[in-house]
Amino acid sequence: MERAVLSVGIDIGTSTTQLIISRLTIQNKASLFSVPDIVISKKEIIYQSDIIFTPLLRGYQIDYNGIAQFVRKQYMKAGISKQSIGVGAVIITGETARKENADRVIETLSQDAGDFVVATAGPDLEGILAAKGSGAGNYSFDRKVPIINLDIGGGTTNLAALDGDQVLDTACFDIGGRLIKVDPETLQISYLAPKIQQLVHQLNLDLSEGTVLKSAEGLNPIIDVLVQVLENSIGIGEKSDFFDLFITNHHFTQLDAGQIRSVSFSGGVAECMRHADDAQPFAYGDIGLLLGSRLRHSKIEQYKDVLPAQETIRATVIGAGAYSITVSGSTISYTKDALPVRNLPIIKLTIEKQDPNAPEFTDQLKNRMDIFHTDGERSNVAIYITGLKSPTFHQLQHCARQIVSGAHELLAHHLPLIVITEDDIAKALGHQLAHDLPPGYPYICIDKIKANHGDYVDIGAPVPGTTVLPVSVKTLLFN
Amino acid sequence: MEKDSNQSRGIFSDISEINLREQLLVPDPHYLEGYMKMKAFTPARLGLWRCGPRYKTQSILRFRADHAAAQDSVFSYVSPDLIKEMRFIAIQTKCCSKDEYLTRPDLGRRFSKEYEEKIKRHITNRPKIQLVIGDGLSSAAIEANIKEIIPSIKQGLNYYGLDCAQHIFVKYCRVGVMDQVGELTNADVVCMLIGERPGLATAQSMSAYIAYKPTMGMPEMRRTVVSNIHAQGIPPVEAGAYISELLYKMLNYKKSGLDLKAAENRN
Repeated sequence: MERAVLSVGIDIGTSTTQLIISRLTIQNKASLFSVPDIVISKKEIIYQSDIIFTPLLRGYQIDYNGIAQFVRKQYMKAGISKQSIGVGAVIITGETARKENADRVIETLSQDAGDFVVATAGPDLEGILAAKGSGAGNYSFDRKVPIINLDIGGGTTNLAALDGDQVLDTACFDIGGRLIKVDPETLQISYLAPKIQQLVHQLNLDLSEGTVLKSAEGLNPIIDVLVQVLENSIGIGEKSDFFDLFITNHHFTQLDAGQIRSVSFSGGVAECMRHADDAQPFAYGDIGLLLGSRLRHSKIEQYKDVLPAQETIRATVIGAGAYSITVSGSTISYTKDALPVRNLPIIKLTIEKQDPNAPEFTDQLKNRMDIFHTDGERSNVAIYITGLKSPTFHQLQHCARQIVSGAHELLAHHLPLIVITEDDIAKALGHQLAHDLPPGYPYICIDKIKANHGDYVDIGAPVPGTTVLPVSVKTLLFN
Repeated sequence: MEKDSNQSRGIFSDISEINLREQLLVPDPHYLEGYMKMKAFTPARLGLWRCGPRYKTQSILRFRADHAAAQDSVFSYVSPDLIKEMRFIAIQTKCCSKDEYLTRPDLGRRFSKEYEEKIKRHITNRPKIQLVIGDGLSSAAIEANIKEIIPSIKQGLNYYGLDCAQHIFVKYCRVGVMDQVGELTNADVVCMLIGERPGLATAQSMSAYIAYKPTMGMPEMRRTVVSNIHAQGIPPVEAGAYISELLYKMLNYKKSGLDLKAAENRN
């Protein structure tokens, strides 16, 4: 059995917007004598769009019509109808995620772009998708070594440390190629990002928007700081005084980045790193080339194994198109009327089945759900359960009862019950839930999904000809 | 407590309590983490090290212990208490001893007259679904999994509006005897849960062989198989849920084995 599904990825970034279409092959890897094990076995990119500048209105809004038109045109050029797109993801990245209509734009676009196209945003997810899309994930998986990918875009640098298909940690800094815009002809500075303005002030530099540079060297003190912060971010060199200033949300906290030897670069600035040093420094009207050339001669090259990335400027969009959708386990249980679900926040609960005195999680579940009860409105959540590896039937029954009683409030509002487990147990748990719920009550119970508290999840209708549901575990963070 | 103090002195009451996936005997490995990661992917005995050209004593002892556990599971019997507790109808094939069971597979596939009559006496209602539990080559597999899988199958059948009631337990059981059960009971579907030939990785693996209206002498392709049911493989509770769906499908399509696959693929 082999099925192909077309997947779209759309990246709306600080400076550029792009789209790819990939073909995902879905296959049963188990033998005839086993329970099916349906996985995405192949990912091929079949269409890459042009790269356009992200259309903005008055600087603080995204031009939705401009983007919708771009998407339509690319579908036409690819010869693919919207109806044939099965899955996909729209990601809004970098500074664009801070525009005032960012959430509405990706929400609308994800509905418009195809059947099960999910909306995503958030610096951590961006870093993970870029690392996977750049090829760093495959490298780590094949070589069995951990790797850090730095995706240096227009507004932000998103770092992700991967070990095979496992994400070790993420980090994000406000460092990118378009933090300073310079006219290539007149060398006049037309834009300084807010954090650069702070840096200029603290370094006592005589620079402001409107300043005409004598040469590119005038920006050296700034570039030096940016490169030092990036070196620091992966555990190299003496910590810059401005390290904290450039942190977007957090640096690496879960690991000692100095221990990881392999590093790769993606993003627009990684593309700039490939250019020769004598190129016109402001050819793109920004500091991308300056930053790229300085990074090429930085301590990172001395201290780390820098791998050539397979994808640079397209890493994030490939990540969105090919790596943001997974499939559920093959033995699951659901009612059709509960599908699809979009943007549900995840509540994570761990079952301590070894410990007979462990507190019931019914109350935990109730308490955690109360957070999502605002202004008398009850919105749905997905209940994510870990610690159910090969339970006894009695433990399974007990677990189902606790879920149903803990989710009492959801049932009162007739919201579908969505349960996701890490371990392969969803079909049995689903049968048990169906038994404990009122007759015909809508529910979904799927397994073999990795997620964390604070993530969001989308679950689509079954992939035709298979028993699996497409799933996207993601973040939805707008700054 | 006693075990702890024994371990600290390097003495184990049971060598097979060591988790092989977490034990590396290679002294000063060049890349410990990578080695452990590799071991996590497989039950194979990697990184045993050596003494001259031979295994170390510990590895040989462990190998023998695991081999003994595998043999024990073949030569032991499913506890009569368990059979009673589960209210199985206890039957046996034409075999009279383990030796005969192992040397005469043909006798393990047929019942004697006496037991044929016992089945007919107990099962009179032409059940839609007949469960058969067989010791097969691992009684340990039945003891480890049967209490978890049967309620899960029943719960699943309940979900599909089905049920199964009286289960048959067969001593000295081979897969083929399910065909005779089919003929004796006139069940629509016969599902046999049977202990798999044990290996060095686990002695607790069980399989389910399921067939729509099985008949003696039918081709093997009419059987649907779910193998590798044990705590480290397909969890018995989840396997039970999956089996219940297979039973439901077989009753719908009136087919099993490769015929069922083909019918499903057509839809």
